[in-house]
Amino acid sequence: MLKVSGLTTGYGKIQILQGVDLNVSEGQIVALLGGNGTGKTTLLKALSGLLPVWDGAIEFDGQPIQNLPPHTIVRAGLTQVTQGKDAYPAMTVEENLMLGAYTRNNKPAIANDLERVYTFFPRLLERRTQLSATLSGGEVQMLVIGRGLMASPKLLMLDEPSSALAPKVVMDIFSTINRIRKFGLSILMVEQNVRMALLLADYGYIIRDGVILLEGEARDLISDPNVKASFLGGTVVDTTRDIKA
Amino acid sequence: MEFDFSSLFAFILFGVTIGVVYGIVALGISLIYSGLDIVHFAHGELYMFGAFFGLVFTQTMGFPYPVALVLAMLCAGVLGMGIERVFYRRLTKSGGGYTVAGMGMIICGFGMSIVLMNVAFLIWGAAAEPFPVDLGMPYQFGDIALPKSYALTAVVAVCLMIILHYFLKKTKAGLAVRAVAANKDIASLMGINVPRIISLIFGLACGLGGAAGVLIGPMQSVQVEMGYLMLLKAFAAAVVGGFGSLPGAIVGGIIVGIAENLGAAYISASHKDIYAFLLLILVLMFKPSGLFGVVARVKA
Repeated sequence: MLKVSGLTTGYGKIQILQGVDLNVSEGQIVALLGGNGTGKTTLLKALSGLLPVWDGAIEFDGQPIQNLPPHTIVRAGLTQVTQGKDAYPAMTVEENLMLGAYTRNNKPAIANDLERVYTFFPRLLERRTQLSATLSGGEVQMLVIGRGLMASPKLLMLDEPSSALAPKVVMDIFSTINRIRKFGLSILMVEQNVRMALLLADYGYIIRDGVILLEGEARDLISDPNVKASFLGGTVVDTTRDIKA
Repeated sequence: MEFDFSSLFAFILFGVTIGVVYGIVALGISLIYSGLDIVHFAHGELYMFGAFFGLVFTQTMGFPYPVALVLAMLCAGVLGMGIERVFYRRLTKSGGGYTVAGMGMIICGFGMSIVLMNVAFLIWGAAAEPFPVDLGMPYQFGDIALPKSYALTAVVAVCLMIILHYFLKKTKAGLAVRAVAANKDIASLMGINVPRIISLIFGLACGLGGAAGVLIGPMQSVQVEMGYLMLLKAFAAAVVGGFGSLPGAIVGGIIVGIAENLGAAYISASHKDIYAFLLLILVLMFKPSGLFGVVARVKA
């Protein structure tokens, strides 16, 4: 579904990605893992068209999409969910969600999706007429994910859905992501919370200094001694049941 | 001598009607500022062009005044979009208002102002043209006679504001305008064609400016240099109300209009144009964010 090969890009003259290869198949959750400043968000920005691609190719749904304007890429079905701070604070929850459906015109289908987002995140329904500036950190994270779903994408890219959230909220959000996948959506998830992400994902990539260091099935990565040593630190507790319940 | 309350009331009434016109020009300046992060210094010239368009449509082509108003708005809007497309677009591409390119855009605005003034001079000449519109006898409120053109101006200006408010709050395109104004990158991730929306913002703002020209036309005469004073007063209105705030622009316009009329009546009529700027200076001294402004608004 998404095929990235030899992607290089950066900001101004500074190169960040040094040739990244990455694949997401239909219905898969793929986790892209790494610490701060390793190029995770940069990769998402290049995929969604916010950053120019210097070299390499991005193929989505069989079509090359590198260097298309962002709004065209959204229309193709590839939606990036940025971090919670990027909800529009001066708009209500529902206005934010409706912005997500900006590219669509089928009103009944939009209403249907809105209802679905509210069933995923009942908190948003309670707060639908509130300005999103008044929401908590966990709620805005739910809001931006909901907004991404409103675009009815084929592939959803999540940028650190767990960042700066309490463990309980992170658990909620990850279990919702797991529910979302059942609707046949593919997900590319950027995360620093390596353990949680690998428990949820099917496949994982570990990125460092703009290159893919390691890749593999999520369950293999989680028991990989290198990953354990550098990211997981200590024993892996099996919390799979909590998330996938 | 007894204080004459009815003439005070009259001054305020005239202040409000002229003030709502400052308000709609200020609204355009605020719209462009919120969309492109620049102060558009050629906005007064769009107002001037609006007035001339109105004159051409009523005098030369013989359209009734309301039709001429709508046509002049459309023409000013299209002219504005053309200017945006040809000149401002390349500057927006290179970074927008908060970058070095933003400085270029501001200077471009000044240059555009001079160019537009000279284009108008070539077409219509330097003489002040009267803009006679016969609307009939003035309305009588007790001792006060309010000319119909003033009443019409106030009503039309308020209608335009209501339409703009409805557009921004209730329509999909309005939602997109607000999204682009708040954060362009995120707006593009929503699938919004950001350059097209900026063009729409420019068209709307210039259309409002053009409408103000047609509204003011019958009260004053129309001439090529009418734009700069309007720009400065609308700018004062926008600052008084709080830059970038749309309700602030209207309230600021009304305050400037009233201050100007009261100053002219009770202090000195020959310094009529000073009071707006006096107000501007006072606001900048004591409440720099204006009445409705947000302190140091941060935009991405």
